[in-house]
Amino acid sequence: MLDQQTIISSGNEAAAHAIIDIGYDGEGYYPITPSSEVGEYVNRAYAQGEIDLSFVVGTSELAAISTVAGMAIAGGRAVDVTSSQGLLLKAEELPALAGLGLPVVLNLATRDVNAPLNIKNGHSDLAATLGWGWVTLCAPTVQAVYDLNIIALKIAEAVNLPALVAYDGFHTSHANRRIKVFTDRRAVREFIGPEPPRRLSLLDVKHPHTFGPYMNDDLINTKVLIDQKMEKALKLLPRIFEEYAQLSGRRYQFLEVYGAPDAQVALFILNSAAEASKVAVDRLRQEGRSVKLVSPTVLRPWPADTILQTLFSVDRILVAERVSQYGANNYLANEVGAVLQRSADHNLILSRTYGIGGLNFYPEDAEYLFRLALNFPNVPDHEKRWKGYYQAWAGDRDARPVAKTAPISSAEVTRNAGKDRVDLRELADMPHRIEKHSACPGCGLFSNLEMFLRGIDGQVVFFFNTGCGMLVTTGFPSTSFRVPYFHNLFHNATSTATGAIEMYQRLRRQGKMDDEITFIVVTGDGGDDIGMDQVIGAALRNDPMIVLEYDNKGYMNTGGQLCYTGLLGQRFTNANVGPKQKGKLQHHKDIVEILRGTHAPYLFQAAESNFRDLLMKARKAQKMVREGDFVFGRFFSPCPLNWGSDPRMGFRIVDKFAPVTEAIQQEVDRRWRRLVEMDANPAL
Amino acid sequence: MLEYRLPYQDGLGFTNILLTALGGDGANMAAKLLFKIAVEALNLDGGYDAKYGSEKTGTPTDVSIRLCLYGTPVRESGPTRRPHMLSVFRETLVLTQNLVAGLQADATVMVNTTKGPSEIRELLRLPSGKILTLDATRIATETQSRLNMPMLAVLAHQLGFPGEIVKEAIGKQWPRAKEANLAAFEMAVGRARSERFEPHPEYPLVEPARVSSPVGYANMLNGGAIDAFSNISIPERGAPPLGRVPVFAAEHCSHCGLCLVPCPDPGAIVYCKGCMQCV
Ligand SMILES: Cc1ncc(C[n+]2csc(CCOP(=O)(O)OP(=O)(O)O)c2C)c(N)n1
Ligand code: SF4
Repeated sequence: MLDQQTIISSGNEAAAHAIIDIGYDGEGYYPITPSSEVGEYVNRAYAQGEIDLSFVVGTSELAAISTVAGMAIAGGRAVDVTSSQGLLLKAEELPALAGLGLPVVLNLATRDVNAPLNIKNGHSDLAATLGWGWVTLCAPTVQAVYDLNIIALKIAEAVNLPALVAYDGFHTSHANRRIKVFTDRRAVREFIGPEPPRRLSLLDVKHPHTFGPYMNDDLINTKVLIDQKMEKALKLLPRIFEEYAQLSGRRYQFLEVYGAPDAQVALFILNSAAEASKVAVDRLRQEGRSVKLVSPTVLRPWPADTILQTLFSVDRILVAERVSQYGANNYLANEVGAVLQRSADHNLILSRTYGIGGLNFYPEDAEYLFRLALNFPNVPDHEKRWKGYYQAWAGDRDARPVAKTAPISSAEVTRNAGKDRVDLRELADMPHRIEKHSACPGCGLFSNLEMFLRGIDGQVVFFFNTGCGMLVTTGFPSTSFRVPYFHNLFHNATSTATGAIEMYQRLRRQGKMDDEITFIVVTGDGGDDIGMDQVIGAALRNDPMIVLEYDNKGYMNTGGQLCYTGLLGQRFTNANVGPKQKGKLQHHKDIVEILRGTHAPYLFQAAESNFRDLLMKARKAQKMVREGDFVFGRFFSPCPLNWGSDPRMGFRIVDKFAPVTEAIQQEVDRRWRRLVEMDANPAL
Repeated sequence: MLEYRLPYQDGLGFTNILLTALGGDGANMAAKLLFKIAVEALNLDGGYDAKYGSEKTGTPTDVSIRLCLYGTPVRESGPTRRPHMLSVFRETLVLTQNLVAGLQADATVMVNTTKGPSEIRELLRLPSGKILTLDATRIATETQSRLNMPMLAVLAHQLGFPGEIVKEAIGKQWPRAKEANLAAFEMAVGRARSERFEPHPEYPLVEPARVSSPVGYANMLNGGAIDAFSNISIPERGAPPLGRVPVFAAEHCSHCGLCLVPCPDPGAIVYCKGCMQCV
């Protein structure tokens, strides 16, 4: 066995630790909770000069995984991390990586895929990948996250398929545990192989290949290949597990089985919940019950033979999944059933969905499910079903909601409108369209927005991108919005608004809509990285909406990661300062200049520190959309939490205290001179 | 390794600790440090799990620490459901959070408050055990340290962690704030007021709460929509979660409206978070 040391690590840290120990050539990155930290730890090690890898922050998850594909086709070892919607945004590229036979590794800190938005655990992201040709390993503990990351690359390179390591978002990603890691990184390298096995490379100019060709009837053969590789992986994995056990003393298998080998009742369940279920197995066995737990470590290739051996003599199997297949049996319940039809026995399979949206799963919960299977069909009526939900609740059917507020009339919000002079006194009594929210004290987002909205009269409909603005306003079942509001995921607000505006205009034309509405999109600066294409689209179509970007110079909702708006040298959780890296390496993105190329009629920048200007811009913006034009505005918006600044300074940080380095000033001056020239020469 | 006895052990061999605080209080760092000491100096095992929503400054959050002897399998994750020890970083949390749910008999509860232990017992409805109260906010201000320092000190003391080891760990963790932190640490243990409470028929043990609410699948609006009329979050008068708030003196107000400019919180006249930008 090799030398190992004890460390305290979270699941995310464990993944990063393995990435660092493996010595990958590159990582493509885009943040999403709960997996964001993996790249942050890796980048910290990089900035400190502890490792040498290319660390590329993409404009989206799809960009990140495409960068990973580029690294892999050029012969590099490349890794990525994601969760939930992030995985789905990569979805275009994920089956392609399998089809192209590129052995990259993707860490998936699982999170439910959903709307309404929830950032907690659920396996719907994992379930989506099951048919995409990825070797899939499930890590139920923090220790396993480390170990399986190392094993994943080894098997991936052995069969030329991409590999996925799935661990529970929050339950494992944010659990801090005592684990063991190898003392000497070289040992890990040795296990994996110091260099990747030789494969075709794009950089081989001496012997060129065409990758990703166009294929017609031949395509079916690539599918056969993927399946053959899976079969090969099934054969190789026991050997790799054994080899790893020799090095580490930790043995992994296709299935983790815990309890009575000849048990009558089994609970089939994945990842962290399987750990908690072991406690329930112990308790029930003390009672003399014949139960066991079965939890697959390898999900793809599906170890059907091992599953058959383990389950065929079991009378009742409850397959509990953190995901549901609506209107049909659940994923793994189906797969277990399909395996068992090969046996002569008639086992009973019950299917339950649990733990979605991060609901915790404790030993008591496992005990409940075991008892359900033990007693079936002598169970309460609502449990007498093959498929069902555990932990969902009906609610109080008799509850009659009481109105606490009334609609805002257009008259109430039409104050000081159209006047040349801004009168704060008159505006002071204007009702709030956005009520109490839970943003950090001193957050600039709502001071800007509040002030802007005082310059907008009449009815308003909001579209928010994902970010702090949506998160702090709409925690179910409460809302801060007295006016209609729609959040349609991270980066889709502008296109979503376009759709709603089209319908609005249609109704107006048909004379079915009396209310005149101003449509306002609110997005963070990050939303305009990942959603840049959609903003540009709305501008090019000149759709009549006001898009407001609060520029807090980072992805703040997810913990302060790099946004392209960030300043040169700005430190982010994924762009650290150290001997090898000095924070952000490029100057700040200029969204207004990017949009200038769309020839949108009105683009502005403002801050509540200059409130008269901001209010006049709001009025102009509304006038423009009423005339049918697209408007984009950018607010400078302090984020005391992630800037580490005193909330009291608020906008004064902008006026006086912003430590503007010379390099940034020079760049700003250069851009300004360009604008001045353009202004002086209208033909430019 | 030092001889050490866990103060509590549940059926699986764990001492369960819950730290409840507001985002920005440093509860996570406190848990991290305690667990580090438990592993590195006392050779214990267990874990700590933070509840991570997307913690904004001032919103309620918690961290759970589980401690056991090395060799005990660590199988649960997520927040502890049945804490033996409870550390409450803000008095308001006693009123707003259902902290007594799942709390074990003969618990140890530490609260940052100016109130005394018996008053806290009534507010908390503690079934039985020991309550320690301390004005941790004041200690943090006086020593220019942070709130998590005095809270950490009292918890470490109640856990029976050797003081010297804890102090050394604090010094290493925050070298630049060492003096201030250690001053806060020393002051906290001395200033805490402690009282024991026997079981009381009016304060029974409460089972851990199950996640549930009046709105479920039977009465949820299509697509999980929220009715703005009934479910608007109107500001309510309440204690500020953090720090100080300006006093509004109507008689001195000239109705210029300028205070509106920086105010990020609609309805701040009744609900103010104390960012102090308007003054
Ligand atoms: C497709 C997708 N990728 C990533 C995320 C995770 N995510 C949610 S909000 C956010 C950051 C938003 O940044 P910004 O738009 O600047 O708003 P802020 O957080 O600063 O309010 C990220 C990365 C997501 N929800 N969906
Ligand atoms: S994290 Fe920053 S942007 Fe988000 S609510 Fe807090 S201060 Fe505002």
